[in-house]
Amino acid sequence: MTNMGIVLAILGAALAALLAGIGSAKGVGLVGEAAAGVVSVDPSKFSKVLILQLLPGTQGLYGLLTAILMLSRIGVIGGNAAELTTAQGWEFFIAALPIAIVGLISAIFQGRTAAAGVGITAKKPEHNGKGIIMAAMVETYAILALLVSILLIYNIEV
Amino acid sequence: MGGTKYANAVAAVKAMENFLLTRSDLDQLISAATAAEMESLISARRCSGNEELTLEGVWEMIRGYAPDCVELKILLYKNDFHDLKAVLKSMLSGHDPKSCCIRPTNLDLDLLVKAFSSKEFDLLPDYISSTAEQAYELITRTLDGQLADSLIDSACMSAMQKAAEESGSSFMVNYARLITACADIKTAYRCAKMKKQRSFLETAVCGSPELDKESLIRAALGGPDSVLALLETTSFDEGGKLLSQSPAAFEKWCDDMIMELAQTARMQAFGAEPLAAYYLAAEAELKNLRMIRVCRESGTDRETITERMRKLYV
Repeated sequence: MTNMGIVLAILGAALAALLAGIGSAKGVGLVGEAAAGVVSVDPSKFSKVLILQLLPGTQGLYGLLTAILMLSRIGVIGGNAAELTTAQGWEFFIAALPIAIVGLISAIFQGRTAAAGVGITAKKPEHNGKGIIMAAMVETYAILALLVSILLIYNIEV
Repeated sequence: MGGTKYANAVAAVKAMENFLLTRSDLDQLISAATAAEMESLISARRCSGNEELTLEGVWEMIRGYAPDCVELKILLYKNDFHDLKAVLKSMLSGHDPKSCCIRPTNLDLDLLVKAFSSKEFDLLPDYISSTAEQAYELITRTLDGQLADSLIDSACMSAMQKAAEESGSSFMVNYARLITACADIKTAYRCAKMKKQRSFLETAVCGSPELDKESLIRAALGGPDSVLALLETTSFDEGGKLLSQSPAAFEKWCDDMIMELAQTARMQAFGAEPLAAYYLAAEAELKNLRMIRVCRESGTDRETITERMRKLYV
């Protein structure tokens, strides 16, 4: 049980990358479906719908960033893993949860909003920006979660 | 977090809505000096410039994007049962059924012909097989084509309502009920004028939660005014008033009600509803175009044509 701390910290990092990545994959996939529908009828709208498709992909990047920061903090990336107590391990694990959970859920909902935005682009391409803004609003909560995760990671004493 | 079905199909349909005719397009078509000018105006509005809009084409396109969408099949029940009538009568009169059948349908015409010629009605899907058998038995026994038609029409409405309820889509349920109510009102009013017996009405009227079958039959037995009085107590009050003026005005009101229902699905980003709505939009547009062409050929004045135009989706 002496290694429990590092195991929990690595599990937290893995969850951050995994859940946020799953959310992004689902979100980007959904918008991609909608975008493909529009492009199959009007290929000239490709660049406009592509921006919408990219939006739910950011949560996956936030999860990756969190995981890298955590692995760096505990020394796994440098090849000199820190000796963590179980309590410290739990602290790192909990620090990963905001971006892991909020990233998963917000990416899926951002995908839905962006897919609906693809409908706006299909019918009224001149209002494409409104669809982007609506989808970007969902991003706020992923950014807040990322911020909380980073603050927690840097405030854990190693 | 579910409910994101048919994102691809709905987005494609939304892109295609741009090529549907608008009210100002219709006004331009009505005002066009010649038929050639009208056709060139239509071509200019279409996707890629010259693709002709056909219901069969629209259906194939929607099914191509959403092949697993079973709810949409309900939209074609009317055509399926129409073809059932056409094949039944064609075979009894020795004519080629192909000339009377319409497309698109859920049923393969050859299968329908085979079912009737071999009397193997089980070859047909469940929603239509028993009706086919009953209609065949009825027409061969009574030689009453009108009664067989009424039986098939009523069975079509029942099948639509049943399938819509099974699909769980409130849009399809509302569509099936609206179609049924409109058909029942027309049937009851016509039967009341022709002083039809209760036995005929029981076969011809389908009934729906909006318009109870028994109330409608009783009203029809009481005469046309009795039907209109019944409608005054329902949400079909406005339709009843138009029916008393002219059946054509009532037909237009029914089509407009269906289009109002279709418009409720216009804002949805996912699901079968926008796909069904697009099909209904194409149906309304083609009906309008057909009316403009026929009215122009018959020399009908522009005001009358404009009055007859159905509500559009866009």
